Amino acid sequence: MTSRTWKRNAILLVFVLPALVFYAAFTLAPAFGGMWYSFTDWNGLGPSYKAIGLSNYVEAIGDRYFLKSLWFTVKFVLYMLVLQNVLAILLAVLVESLGRSKVWFRTIFFMPNMLSLIIGGFMWMFIFTRVFPYLADKTGWMLFDQSWIGDPNYSFFAILALSLWGGVGYLMIIYIAAIQGVPKQLKEAAAIDGAHAFHIFRHVTLPMIYPALTIGVFLTLNSSFKVFDSVYALTGGGPGRSTQVIAINIYEEAFSFSNRYGYASAKAMILFGIVLIITIIQLAVMKRREVRA
Amino acid sequence: MNTYRASRADQKDNKPKMNSSGRAGSPRLGRRIGSGAVLLFLLIAAIVTLFPIYMALLNSVKTQGEMLTNILAWPSMPEFGNYVDAFQKTRYLRSLGNTIIVVAVGLTGIILFSSMAGYKLSRTPGKLSAILFGLFVMSTLIPFHSIMITLVTISKELRLQGSTVGLGLLYIGLGVAVAIFLYHGFVKSIPRELDEAAVMDGCGEFRLFFTIILPLLMPITATIAILNTLWMWNDFLLPLLMLTNYKSYTLLLSTNMLFGEYNNDWSAILASLVLAMLPVIILYLALQKYILHGIAEGAIKA
Repeated sequence: MTSRTWKRNAILLVFVLPALVFYAAFTLAPAFGGMWYSFTDWNGLGPSYKAIGLSNYVEAIGDRYFLKSLWFTVKFVLYMLVLQNVLAILLAVLVESLGRSKVWFRTIFFMPNMLSLIIGGFMWMFIFTRVFPYLADKTGWMLFDQSWIGDPNYSFFAILALSLWGGVGYLMIIYIAAIQGVPKQLKEAAAIDGAHAFHIFRHVTLPMIYPALTIGVFLTLNSSFKVFDSVYALTGGGPGRSTQVIAINIYEEAFSFSNRYGYASAKAMILFGIVLIITIIQLAVMKRREVRA
Repeated sequence: MNTYRASRADQKDNKPKMNSSGRAGSPRLGRRIGSGAVLLFLLIAAIVTLFPIYMALLNSVKTQGEMLTNILAWPSMPEFGNYVDAFQKTRYLRSLGNTIIVVAVGLTGIILFSSMAGYKLSRTPGKLSAILFGLFVMSTLIPFHSIMITLVTISKELRLQGSTVGLGLLYIGLGVAVAIFLYHGFVKSIPRELDEAAVMDGCGEFRLFFTIILPLLMPITATIAILNTLWMWNDFLLPLLMLTNYKSYTLLLSTNMLFGEYNNDWSAILASLVLAMLPVIILYLALQKYILHGIAEGAIKA
């Protein structure tokens, strides 16, 4: 290596070092540390622990509550994937079809995204536990007369409603940006050819915003597998452990009742593995379709 | 591209488009019913979106008794005592101050360190540069919950637990990767000749970066600042794990505590929710244009 290369790399290191120090301490070290602890029986308190191989992973696969939380999360992810993207595209297309008033609707639909889902969750809690019973009294509608928080069959949908409320606006903004990128001439040409609004959307707009769909699906997958706040705020995972998602299950395993850091780390690694595999598959599949479209 | 300007531009484009489809023979009445249905649908969606916020606002100025008799009605006499109550119980000013400290520390570090690293990584060819960049990008898929357990242990070891500044420092470590990625891409749009000319004039590396490059990075810095402020301001789990003493509680933690302690005192809880929302909503309405633009930009590039 020449001395010029040396100097260049030295300057590079000086510029990168501050970021690297923080990154190494608070992202890389915990990631590798967590991987290591997942093979130990560490309880988070005492300094002594020993390596126990794959026992944690074997236990996790047989852990009824962990599997239940996994299934609950997968169900949640599937609902979110479809509903969040369909609603976001629908809102984006309809808002973009408006004239001057579109600015107002955009502002309103994005507003919940500015708020923490903890705040949003408590507000929806008020709606579900106070406003709905009142409406049920007045209207007699079955919709309002359910135990939206207490009954796990219904609280799944309460959690879903809250998450959609807090998440749709974000994707809508992305889809709006994509729709604005669709050349006007294409739509006009289709309209002159006599295509109806829906056909224009289906055959002109949709293929053109396909790259945005890849982003939307990616973001939804990523965020809903990690869902924590909306469950924490509405049900805390209860009643019992019936609405636990993976993140809540890991959190409780580590910090709430058992302090089994090693075991919780193994679950955390399983979550990482799932997210990684699904993301890779999703990106591979959608990128291929993007090229074709 | 500016979202606002873009929306203005296609408003102008709308007119010829409507004319052309009119010529194509689509019946005017059907069209009007169609756009009426669209407007109705959007209005309903907007009402559903705003309903929880409206209910929180409305009932936060009612007495508990009035809330019980008619939850939808306007208060006969606005009761601002709930706000005094919530203000004290959440130690509002201190919680707000704590939140601002966390965000300020985190944001300063993220912007300063990632712009430096992103710039140099983008400009330097070679293996070392590629390896370092790969190292940063690698982690962006790791879910936070997969590292939180060890992160808490490390922060205990470093005596950062319980401190708002410490929490801000943690956010730097968690936030730099994505920010470096965004800076790395943006730097490519700045001509290299600029660096070369400055060096030729005898400008040092640091002066070059801070006086010439950093100001040019402003557009992407704004995007990064918006995304990270939103993230840190609204993050709940990490503060929950890190800030163990109520004196260092952020707004969210104080609100959560109030909710836990006064489970049925909805007037105080709703008032505290409104207080917690207030800074964000004000910021949103004031900087909306930039925020929406930053969101779209950040998502598409990342």
